[in-house]
Amino acid sequence: MLLDAKIPDGPIEQKWDNRKSELKLVNPANKRRYNVIVVGTGLAGASAAASLAEMGYNVQSFCIQDSPRRAHSIAAQGGINAAKNYPNDGDSIWRLFYDTVKGGDYRSREANVYRLAQLSNNIIDQCVAQGVPFARDYGGLLANRSFGGAQVSRTFYARGQTGQQLLLGAYSALMRQVDAGRVDLHSRFEMLDVVVDEGKARGIVGRNLVTGEIERYVGDAVILATGGYGAVFFLSTNAVNSNVTAAWRAHKRGACFANPCYTQIHPTCIPVSGDHQSKLTLMSESLRNDGRVWVPKEKGDKRPPDQIPEDERDYYLERRYPSFGNLVPRDVASRNAKAVCDEGRGVGQTGLSVYLDFADAIDRMGEQVIRERYGNLFEMYERITGENPYSGPMRIYPAVHYTMGGLWVDYNLMSTIPGLFVLGEANFSDHGANRLGASALMQGLCDGYFVIPYAIGDYLAGHSFSELDTRADAFEASHREVESRLDALLAVNGDKTVGNYHKELGLLMWEYVGMERSEEGLTKVLSEIPALREEFWQNVKVPGANSHFNKNLEMAGRVADFLELGELMARDALERSESCGGHFRAESQTEEGEALRKDDEFSFVSAWEFNGVGETPTLHQEPLEFQNVKLTQRSYK
Amino acid sequence: MASIVSAVMSSVGRKILMSLTGLVMFGFVIGHMVGNLQLLTGGGDVFNRYAHFLIGLGGLLILAELVLLMSLLVHIWTAVNIVRGKRAARPVSYGKSGSAGAPSRKTFASSTMIYTGVLILVFLVIHIKSFKYGPAEAEGYVTTVDGVEMRDLHRLVIETFQQPEWVIGYAIAMIALGIHLSHAFWSAFQSLGLYHHRYTPIVYNVGRLLAFVIALGFFVIPIWIYYFGAA
Amino acid sequence: MTLNLHIWRQEGPDRPGKLVPYKAEDVNRDMSLLEMLDVVNQDLIKRGEDPIEFDSDCREGICGMCSLVINGVAHGPLNGTATCQLHMRHYRDGDSITIEPWRSQAFPVVRDLVTDRSSFDRIVQAGGYISINTGNAPEANALPISKVDADLAMDAAACIGCGACVAACPNASASLFTAAKISQFASLPQGQPERSERALRMVDQMDEEGFGNCSNHGECEAVCPKEISISTIASMKRDYVKAALTV
Repeated sequence: MLLDAKIPDGPIEQKWDNRKSELKLVNPANKRRYNVIVVGTGLAGASAAASLAEMGYNVQSFCIQDSPRRAHSIAAQGGINAAKNYPNDGDSIWRLFYDTVKGGDYRSREANVYRLAQLSNNIIDQCVAQGVPFARDYGGLLANRSFGGAQVSRTFYARGQTGQQLLLGAYSALMRQVDAGRVDLHSRFEMLDVVVDEGKARGIVGRNLVTGEIERYVGDAVILATGGYGAVFFLSTNAVNSNVTAAWRAHKRGACFANPCYTQIHPTCIPVSGDHQSKLTLMSESLRNDGRVWVPKEKGDKRPPDQIPEDERDYYLERRYPSFGNLVPRDVASRNAKAVCDEGRGVGQTGLSVYLDFADAIDRMGEQVIRERYGNLFEMYERITGENPYSGPMRIYPAVHYTMGGLWVDYNLMSTIPGLFVLGEANFSDHGANRLGASALMQGLCDGYFVIPYAIGDYLAGHSFSELDTRADAFEASHREVESRLDALLAVNGDKTVGNYHKELGLLMWEYVGMERSEEGLTKVLSEIPALREEFWQNVKVPGANSHFNKNLEMAGRVADFLELGELMARDALERSESCGGHFRAESQTEEGEALRKDDEFSFVSAWEFNGVGETPTLHQEPLEFQNVKLTQRSYK
Repeated sequence: MASIVSAVMSSVGRKILMSLTGLVMFGFVIGHMVGNLQLLTGGGDVFNRYAHFLIGLGGLLILAELVLLMSLLVHIWTAVNIVRGKRAARPVSYGKSGSAGAPSRKTFASSTMIYTGVLILVFLVIHIKSFKYGPAEAEGYVTTVDGVEMRDLHRLVIETFQQPEWVIGYAIAMIALGIHLSHAFWSAFQSLGLYHHRYTPIVYNVGRLLAFVIALGFFVIPIWIYYFGAA
Repeated sequence: MTLNLHIWRQEGPDRPGKLVPYKAEDVNRDMSLLEMLDVVNQDLIKRGEDPIEFDSDCREGICGMCSLVINGVAHGPLNGTATCQLHMRHYRDGDSITIEPWRSQAFPVVRDLVTDRSSFDRIVQAGGYISINTGNAPEANALPISKVDADLAMDAAACIGCGACVAACPNASASLFTAAKISQFASLPQGQPERSERALRMVDQMDEEGFGNCSNHGECEAVCPKEISISTIASMKRDYVKAALTV
């Protein structure tokens, strides 16, 4: 398989314009003859479905939730980046592009990232026109803030609910098209297979989550916007229904999976409180602007924090990184937290957390100032933990937050299956090995509003499509496979629940494919995951039947897929014996313990081709060329 | 025009009808109470003169009565509609019910509007029958005030409220009215779209106060008469 | 701690349901209520019984998926809190907890505690948007919007569409949900061109779905996880009347 990224010619500033000028167009009168299937209704999916319907295509939109408005984009708190340069602080498309490539630790495609930066401004315009209530200053113009250590203020936000507001904007655009009769909406539907006919993606097969019926839908192109796969770790900041199933089933039909080992860990999450825990909650990393991170100097010091004197505390980030201190990047902060906990200096009942202390900030600025800045976060913390962060330090611990890897796509967002496009977090395209804060929302909307409307026309106009209905052989075969897999899950009737297996897998992933990976650990887990998968298929207990709403059956299918994906993540992590971005290999670090990239060996995208469950997948490499950005090793000393 | 009709029939429109008719009757009730308080002053003449004056309004009185009757009928119609809508909207009720507390304004009053309303309606029928259409000049209830011969309504009232069952009945009806109005007043403003974060709490409390004052005003009359007879 | 649960079980939309008692043992006070149900379900599955179906997704109070009436109060006893953010430390050993689904004709029960809230989507389809096609937008800062108006719009836009307002309303009215969307756009200049039509269509759709009338109990505001004010309902009524008289 040859990976052709189809990057346009010309200087980077003109690549997208060049591509747009060479794309084939679909005649306005012909658009209604094309059926486009859009799976997922998050930022990418909803914006794509709405935009395509506005253009005149027939769109079928699918989501697993009871309403498209509940897709997990809704939980994004911080904001969305754009190169508007309203604050006049030196931002530009170039700088946003540069920061994103650098932030991604030089493992992303320059051309994609540049396009993302270029289109970022259109996103803000579009969202404002939709009535998204972004924060404004007293003059009535849009407010910006600096986010995630960026040196310019380019982040637009709507209180701490930016993702929600942007999603509701896209959702309302989608609802408008449903009202206009241009979109058919299918809620509580889970895609379980993509149907490939004559080498092209032509439809999907999936389960109606209410009735259990297997349904088939035919189209001329299929768009997946089904989010990331962080829930493979069981505990993550993802929603409990977030899953890899749609992307994974596409992978099994021939779509290459790129950079699966690139996962982002967020340092300021509320720690785990016990075995019952079902998810982790993130708090904005802006907390680190005023909070000081510390643990006791002595191992196993179980005194309450206020009884540990100043000279027996270790403000380890300030000590190790004198110039950045508590504001080191996410991955550095996360890794250090895990390191001190592994040393036995973690705090809290579980020993798996570190203090984030606002006592100095409160002394310096007064409680009122802190309340104004972080009141909602403090309240959230207290709500979840029952501890008052004004009177004692918060406890935090890192958690899996975002996955940069995903299905491989070319510059036109098409996967290795012709006609199968992948958008948003589900693809691998723009964030390299690490995503900058406030860039996920930007990418999702950019793909959906401004890239796919062009790209899909080129594909549809450039291909001919045979008449196909849902009784075709490809659909029959897919239907049978989907059904037999569901039956098989129900038939095992073993001793352990789906939740048991998900947790076990999550622990393995967290331990060996989490913040720090080593050859030894990865090799070990590469035998443990298949063993766990084997056990799952022999001993899982899925209650109920296929013929009704059955959450455990849904989860069983997802966990079964995670058990396959986990292995691929470990394999990818093992293969990439360098450290970059969110992927830290213990063997590849500088003397100071910093991530050490190996540009000569690993300047490529790893795209894995599926060869069967348990079979070694084939690695394809897409070389990354950097013509505009000079590669540097980061340092936060 | 079609849109106005359908708007009136909508959930918003019905509530506007309810609040407008409610406010009309609210205004009437205040006037009625102030008028009735004359029963407690200056013997029977003051009250009889007042009653005679009202009858003397002739066409104007009929017009006012028609407006009140229409208001009442529309108010009842919307109430029935709302209760039926409520039953249809929640065919299966909760096994356990509760309230979230403040800032909810759900009270005993707001939850029993239909019951207090029915009580008031029953009262109204009896009340009108026993006084407006009760014994008059023909039955010997005649008096002369300032040389003018007129119905001695005062005597009828005094006689009626010498009977404990009438006093108790009236007292119950007036408590029901007070409860009804304590939710009704602010609710009418809200249904008309008149909400302001500063003034609504005032309207809410003024409404409760007015409801109390009105109920009390009506309530003291039969009690007073029962214990102290004609002033 | 040990808790006595009474949970609504119903096999399907047209099947009768009933409250079934369960005992939740070894409940950790740091668990969320949903995690407590997760644990109860694990035991049920191991015993070969059907687990209790309930909706939840983000479990951080923003997606609006979770939807339980707990001891008669939608989303439970804490103000401004969705079910998923309710922790067991608010209960004591031996407490009884009754858990029921949202009850509304417009939210039919799918199974147990899971309901179908697509009626909300249809209300939004009837005008809960600003008609702007992708690519047609003017420069974002070409239109200044006063901070007061933007904040007001945001207060209303915070709605998570959970349906607690309907569940809590003694009349099962969807006024707060519908009003939040109408008033969000009414506060913004972008919302003006379609303001009248939006109010008319969305209210009509709300009625058509079979929600009850608003009787101004204000229970909706008290259970709303985002504490959206019933001032939005008044605003909706003003818009509706104005539209009905002028359109």
